[in-house]
Amino acid sequence: MTLTAALALAVFVVTYVVIAAEWVHRTMAALCGAAAMVIIGAVDAHAVFFSEDTGIDWNVIFLLFGMMVIVGVLRRTGVFEYLAIRSAQVAGGQPFRTMVTLVVITAVGSALLDNVTTVLLIAPVTLLLCERLALNPVPFLIAEAMASNIGGTATLIGDPPNIIIASRADLSFNSFLVHLAPIVVVLMVVFIGLCWLFWGRRLTSDPERADAVLALEARETIRDPRLLRIMLVLLLGVLVGFVTHTATGLDPSMVALLGAGAAVLLSRTSHQEYLEDVEWGTLLFFAGLFIMVGALVNQGIITDLAGYLSERVDGQWLTAALGLTAASAVLSGIIDNIPYVATMAPVVYDLVGPAPTAPPDQQSLWWGLALGADLGGNATAIGASANVVIIGIAARNGHPITFWTFTKYGIVVTVVTMAVALPYVALRYFTFA
Amino acid sequence: MRAAELAERVPTVRRATSGAEAARVIAEYRFPGLVVAGDDDVPIAVIPGSQLLALVLPSFVREEPNLAHAYDEAGADELCLALNQATIGELLDAKRLTATRPPSVLPEDTLIEIAAVMVHEHHPLILVIDRNGDYHGTVMMSRVLAAIAAAAGQDSALMRRRLETDLAQGDAADDGATE
Repeated sequence: MTLTAALALAVFVVTYVVIAAEWVHRTMAALCGAAAMVIIGAVDAHAVFFSEDTGIDWNVIFLLFGMMVIVGVLRRTGVFEYLAIRSAQVAGGQPFRTMVTLVVITAVGSALLDNVTTVLLIAPVTLLLCERLALNPVPFLIAEAMASNIGGTATLIGDPPNIIIASRADLSFNSFLVHLAPIVVVLMVVFIGLCWLFWGRRLTSDPERADAVLALEARETIRDPRLLRIMLVLLLGVLVGFVTHTATGLDPSMVALLGAGAAVLLSRTSHQEYLEDVEWGTLLFFAGLFIMVGALVNQGIITDLAGYLSERVDGQWLTAALGLTAASAVLSGIIDNIPYVATMAPVVYDLVGPAPTAPPDQQSLWWGLALGADLGGNATAIGASANVVIIGIAARNGHPITFWTFTKYGIVVTVVTMAVALPYVALRYFTFA
Repeated sequence: MRAAELAERVPTVRRATSGAEAARVIAEYRFPGLVVAGDDDVPIAVIPGSQLLALVLPSFVREEPNLAHAYDEAGADELCLALNQATIGELLDAKRLTATRPPSVLPEDTLIEIAAVMVHEHHPLILVIDRNGDYHGTVMMSRVLAAIAAAAGQDSALMRRRLETDLAQGDAADDGATE
């Protein structure tokens, strides 16, 4: 190993420790790590900006950017507030049924948009419903964070790790629907059962408080019906664009950007408004991560790691797939699943190449990585961005959720969901391949 | 006009005053903010009225204002009762209210000196305190503007009352002018 490679590895490890320990904001840590990589000469401008293998993955950045703009306009319609309040009313204000409807809305929303945005939209209305029902909102918020991580697993755009995996593995939107959506439906049923065991059986219904929920004026939250109609049609168009992207040749990032442009034009939103919801810090965090991982690729460290793993695997793809799925779940709980997947995606690429050309037994590594990383995000309070966002909202609203409050449920949910996901990987890609 | 002539007694509240009582004081005197006084009746802090208004809003409504539309009238009234649940002191300690200490001028300071302090500090209310530290009263922006308008040749019965009468007697001044 050269001195530069050794330094690059040291910078990488230190930065990941700083991110995991949250000593400084993760964006700051990633950008400082990226700057250090440039200073030690592990990566140059050409590699950072123009190389598909060692640079910033612009597909990921612009897909996220486009979706943030679309969601930024969509949230102004009040549709999420309407759906959440209306579904709680359909549930009759009964606490556990309300929890189930919120969890399902969160999971579906996370699959269609992205999980961080979905929890940002659903958490305030959850607090409103819990205030009306005189219930502690903490179980509801924890359940929603976890549902967003499970629901987001179903699609390419649902969870940031999936976007990274799709871009690196050349996987289509439909591939995610075919390979992951069915197991996510099963996982959601299992998760709702866990919600009953954790919280639902202890929630009691109060008819007076239920009336307070029924008295909420859901329709009043739709402030601009014209904008809502436009955005629903546009969102449908974007989803059709994602589903047909292999046929049209438009990459998901292009579909998202075109959708964002159309949303801005048709909604007549000012640039301050539609840019307000773009999480620039998150985009920079991704850019920093890509530069750091690119530096490792550039220095041959990822290839060496893949070579080492390849020797260990030695054609035992079932063991490799199950091992990677389980290890991804554990590691994603310890460090945020985004940096984990940003690092592992090039390793898996070196092992099995792009997914479409890999045989099913090798392709299983990509799906194992996605399942492990997405579901493993539930394990701890810092495992996924949605968890961090929910904990932040809860604290701001006077309902602090400690690390261990979240994690004690998260570990159980992760173990149970992995107990379902691991046999799925084995059966789907090996037994019935 | 000098600061001593513009200084007036202002309605104040104490740390033990409840949020609802504080709202009543603001409403009665059409005051833009809440003046919190210490045990010696000297104002020690000012809280903008909008902050008191924000207390009736649950934090999730402040985060997502669209949710305010979901409340019916009974639900909205229920939220207002929250103002009775804490005192001003408790709300300050919990950082749900943020008070600022008003700036001060000397009794002999002129209208322009008062205006300069108000503009620089972005404060609609300043204390008049002499060199010995004795409190002489409070100057409100409305009174400063009344004095400025009078100096600029504008005149009306209501404005003269504003300059002659303390804010604590403001309603009487209003009634007199209306009559």
